[in-house]
Amino acid sequence: MKHYDMIIVGAGPAGLSAAIEAAKRGMKVVVYDENAKPGGQLFKQIHKFFGSREHYAKIRGFQIGEKLLAEASELGVEVVLDAIVIGIFPEKEVTVKIGEHVTHAKGDTILIATGASENMVTFPGWTLPGVIGAGAAQTMMNLHGVLPGHRVLMLGTGNVGLVVSFQLMQAGCEVVALADAAPRVGGYGVHASKVARCGVPFYLSHTIVSAEGEDHVTGVTIGQVDANWQIIEGSEKHFDVDTICLAVGLSPMSKLCDMAGCDMEDNPAKAGFVPVVDEYGETSVSGIYAAGDVSGIEEASSAMIEGRIAGIAAAVKLGYLSEAEGTAEIEKQKAALGGLRQGMFAPGMRGKQITETEEGIAISQNLLQYGFVSDEEVERFPGVTHSSGIHPVMECTQNIPCNPCQDACKNHCIKIGSHITSLPSVDPEAKCTGCGMCVAACSGQAIFLVREDCGDGTAEITLPYEFLPLPQKGEKGTALSRKGEAVCEAEVVGVRTAKVFDHTNLLTMKVPKEYAMKARFFRKGEPV
Amino acid sequence: MNDRNRELKPFVEAPDDDMIICRCEEITKGEIRRAVHDGMFTLTEIRRYLRTGMGLCQGQTCTKLVKSIVARELGVKPNALGSATGRAPMRPIEMQILAKDKGE
Repeated sequence: MKHYDMIIVGAGPAGLSAAIEAAKRGMKVVVYDENAKPGGQLFKQIHKFFGSREHYAKIRGFQIGEKLLAEASELGVEVVLDAIVIGIFPEKEVTVKIGEHVTHAKGDTILIATGASENMVTFPGWTLPGVIGAGAAQTMMNLHGVLPGHRVLMLGTGNVGLVVSFQLMQAGCEVVALADAAPRVGGYGVHASKVARCGVPFYLSHTIVSAEGEDHVTGVTIGQVDANWQIIEGSEKHFDVDTICLAVGLSPMSKLCDMAGCDMEDNPAKAGFVPVVDEYGETSVSGIYAAGDVSGIEEASSAMIEGRIAGIAAAVKLGYLSEAEGTAEIEKQKAALGGLRQGMFAPGMRGKQITETEEGIAISQNLLQYGFVSDEEVERFPGVTHSSGIHPVMECTQNIPCNPCQDACKNHCIKIGSHITSLPSVDPEAKCTGCGMCVAACSGQAIFLVREDCGDGTAEITLPYEFLPLPQKGEKGTALSRKGEAVCEAEVVGVRTAKVFDHTNLLTMKVPKEYAMKARFFRKGEPV
Repeated sequence: MNDRNRELKPFVEAPDDDMIICRCEEITKGEIRRAVHDGMFTLTEIRRYLRTGMGLCQGQTCTKLVKSIVARELGVKPNALGSATGRAPMRPIEMQILAKDKGE
């Protein structure tokens, strides 16, 4: 039987981060993962992450995964793939199915970082092929290069639903609508806005009535729900689709913790059945830790920090690190975790209805209902100002822990300050050179460069553009509003691509100047 | 949950009783509701009685759905139900592989 200082189940963000911290202190670590590729959900995340620099902000998820994996292997961590932990037994023994064999291993400590699985909802036709989890759609597209379908309805407007909708469009699918039984968009407003301005309608307080089709999905009917979640008669809307994506939450995959004898709780605030853990992620069984989604659904960024804390705590427990050093390191990680758990979407804010930003500005209700900030509402946010020359317009209207834009501007046009969730504001004294670094740095694709009046009756708008094929300079097309409606003709006057932009291309379009604050996206072709 | 004297409302057939809930074992909502009225109050009992969550996906899809149906039938909150016992093997595995396990 093999013996390790630490056995980690799950090579996702939490597991790899813990492995790095433990191995750094000289521990012999093995990470088992049932998948063929390591990284957990990180390798499906092709969008830029939010946060601050130490939280890997503006780096795409899969690149964070690559960094973690490289760091772990440099430190000598053994990562075993296609390795399914099928049991956990007393004395910290696990059984692992690898290939055609079951092997046994013992660890002085064990970290369970098995993540979560997708929730499902039922409706007539929910078992038809074509009804899939949004995470499954993401796996097909981003890991295997397979298009899940052509016309998609997304159920769920949390961050998963929003992010996957955008990625489906990037992959070439048409997203016909987003629906959510909740009355308000659940995910980040900036994620919703980038979907809405492509022309995708949002139906809040709507759920699926039925999926149609004989042997696969051919259509879907959604309907509005009343206060008792019953469909309001006559509110039904039909869409021809071949795919229905469900993004209705995640449940912790905590069975191993239960089997290990850890005290468990069914805690709705953590989205399900989770092990009770202390501040270090240690369960009620001494030496068995849990980190990441398995101990409560959160973001990948917090999973990484929870993993680090568990790795350091295990090193202290086994004597690889003095208690004083360990405590100091853990305090640093806790401060970082505290930084992430701030703002309107912090775990403690779940279910609360927010009406004002931290700055006391009324929240955009249009954003919560339809996925985009209205032309009138946008003017009240500090990132939206007007001046004669080119200047940044930051349509960032919710307090989320994210600040790369502040560092992106070499001329210090953009101010967030030391409070990471503050809305960005424009410094009227600083001079914008139109370099576009802020546009590319914004993980929410919410920053635009606007020259409101070019002197010839036109305005120029530079926007983040992550679709292929890239429009060419000189190409004529249609400018779309925040809602995704055609507002006027537009001509592409510049397309900038640079390594430092990391695949966020900057498209500059020329529109009549009355549309300077209305046009926010470019579509090829004539207005329909 | 082990109070077997719990009073349940009479079983009333519902229009969606034939909806499949556990896809792997093809168990319907009606069968699960019926099982509660047959006296299966815990998720472990439901699982043994109907095989919900015992198929290929090992309950990854239906556990939460089954739980909400049982909770509603019993008139309790889903998180009052706890979970079914977790035991090895955590994932489906061929018997021939399991049989060759020499404990090494």
